Amino acid sequence: MHLARLTLIDARTFRRLEVELTPGVHVIVGANAQGKSNLLEAIAMLATTRSLRGGTDLDLIAWDAVADDPIPAARLEADVVTASGREHVEVSIVGQVVAVGVPPQRAARRFRVNGVARRASDLIGRLRVVLFAADDLAIIDGPPAHRRRYLDITLSQLDPAYVRALQRYSRVLEQRNSLLKRLQERRGKPDELDFWDGELAESGAVILAARAEAVRVLGRDAAVTYAELAASETEALEVIYEPHVPAPVAARLREHDLAERLLEALVAGRTEDVRRGLSQIGPHRDDVRFLVGGHAAGVSASRGQQRSAALALRLAEVAYSKARTGDAPVLLLDDILSELDPARRARVLSVAYGVDQVLITTPDAAHPSRAELPGAIRWRLEGGRLEPGE
Amino acid sequence: MNDFRDPSGSGASPIARLVDAFHRLPGIGPKSAQRLAYHVLRAPEEEARDLADALMEVKRSVVLCARCQNVTAETPCRICSDTGRERTIICVVEEPLDVVAIERTGGFHGLYHVLHGVISPADGVGPEDLKIAELLARIRDVDRDIAEVIVATNPNLEGEATSMYLGRLLRPLGIRVTRLARGLPAGADLEYADDVTLGRALEFRQEV
Repeated sequence: MHLARLTLIDARTFRRLEVELTPGVHVIVGANAQGKSNLLEAIAMLATTRSLRGGTDLDLIAWDAVADDPIPAARLEADVVTASGREHVEVSIVGQVVAVGVPPQRAARRFRVNGVARRASDLIGRLRVVLFAADDLAIIDGPPAHRRRYLDITLSQLDPAYVRALQRYSRVLEQRNSLLKRLQERRGKPDELDFWDGELAESGAVILAARAEAVRVLGRDAAVTYAELAASETEALEVIYEPHVPAPVAARLREHDLAERLLEALVAGRTEDVRRGLSQIGPHRDDVRFLVGGHAAGVSASRGQQRSAALALRLAEVAYSKARTGDAPVLLLDDILSELDPARRARVLSVAYGVDQVLITTPDAAHPSRAELPGAIRWRLEGGRLEPGE
Repeated sequence: MNDFRDPSGSGASPIARLVDAFHRLPGIGPKSAQRLAYHVLRAPEEEARDLADALMEVKRSVVLCARCQNVTAETPCRICSDTGRERTIICVVEEPLDVVAIERTGGFHGLYHVLHGVISPADGVGPEDLKIAELLARIRDVDRDIAEVIVATNPNLEGEATSMYLGRLLRPLGIRVTRLARGLPAGADLEYADDVTLGRALEFRQEV
């Protein structure tokens, strides 16, 4: 698939950017703070509906541009071309004005597909991207929440059922935790948990099964790539899914009765859950372990090994996305090539030339060189404006 | 409402107080609140008094129907005391406005019961905070011939939680408990339906 047209209005550094893009390799050259990361972030947001850089949705709105607007908003639009046709996707971030002259404290996200208002879950996956960024290292050495987020972003783009399960799970979890606190204070009866346990088990099972399968395939692929990237190394990469459920449930991740087993575990854990006032088991506490040479990569691997592991994971993600949908995702390389040695850079570029479209940002017009990127289309990004470059 | 702060600094001006009061109403944003407040300010004193009286009157005279818990001027309410209505079926709704909506269909001739909310632990609402005990008491003591309860809560998580709770409570009493069908809105275009709605319409399809 490829992005054929991109429009960004009042989004971060972009006042109004409209650009037609062809398939192929695009190199976007811009000095620091000219909007390179913002550009790729906006594209990623059209794929996942969320900012991948943290911060709130409100941060996306270009405040200096919209300060006088009655309804301050940022708008992102793209035409996506796939084998099955052309689609228009649109994400708007609308500041919720509560009083005249007072900056909004909250923003709402609105979505359109082909001009029709849709839910987030109906937009996600129309455009699929794999974003390579310097902070990918946090997947390896960051807290478990980073790894769950990685899995959620990856899987959401591939599976609408996963998005719906995730949304439902988080709402049910909030309700169940509130009920647990009520029960802890001896208000209400334990059988009020029945509905929430049933719902948590249903959506939780979808999440667990999808993550188990994804980590199995991504981990296997990443291990092979890692061995190739680090040819001089004898230590192997292992990626292991660690679902936060009791062993009898963890043994059933690929079985049809997973939801029932999870429900049994939830019911069995009620007393403890009520005592703590919190749901103790479930995918909201999952983790993924990265081991190099049998040891936790986040703790004992070298920086170079961690980088290779993160890179191998992203490359595995590209293959996984293509294998599951039959259509390669758009690659976004956010100024990562300069950090890679020639062998790793060659590896990334060989994958980049195997997909329909790649957007590469770099602060230095000479790197990557023309020889490294034959046929690449060059752009110059300055002050939020994107112009053809030579 | 910064614009109406008393410049003397002695607190909110009467206009600011009115704007804030309107702003607290559901569906009224800051602009509308200002417009309403200025309307009242310019209107004849009579009109303002009428509004104030109407507000106070509604608080004084409107009560909850002892049977169905709907808002009413007299109890039992007109629907509960209407002898022409079927007395074997109750439609359970979340809010009084839902009664109006279902009445408008003209397709239901039974009785109602208003829960005044749905189960939502995150909002601090449990079954005991709803008019569920009243529903049970009424089925036991007043409307003894009830054969079916239609749960017409909204088709969201909290509505489903409430409907499941009611189902478990009522079925042991030999009452048939049903739920409103979920699916495509009438006159809708399949192409524009979202995945969840379309999926449910498929799941709950009917014989033609």
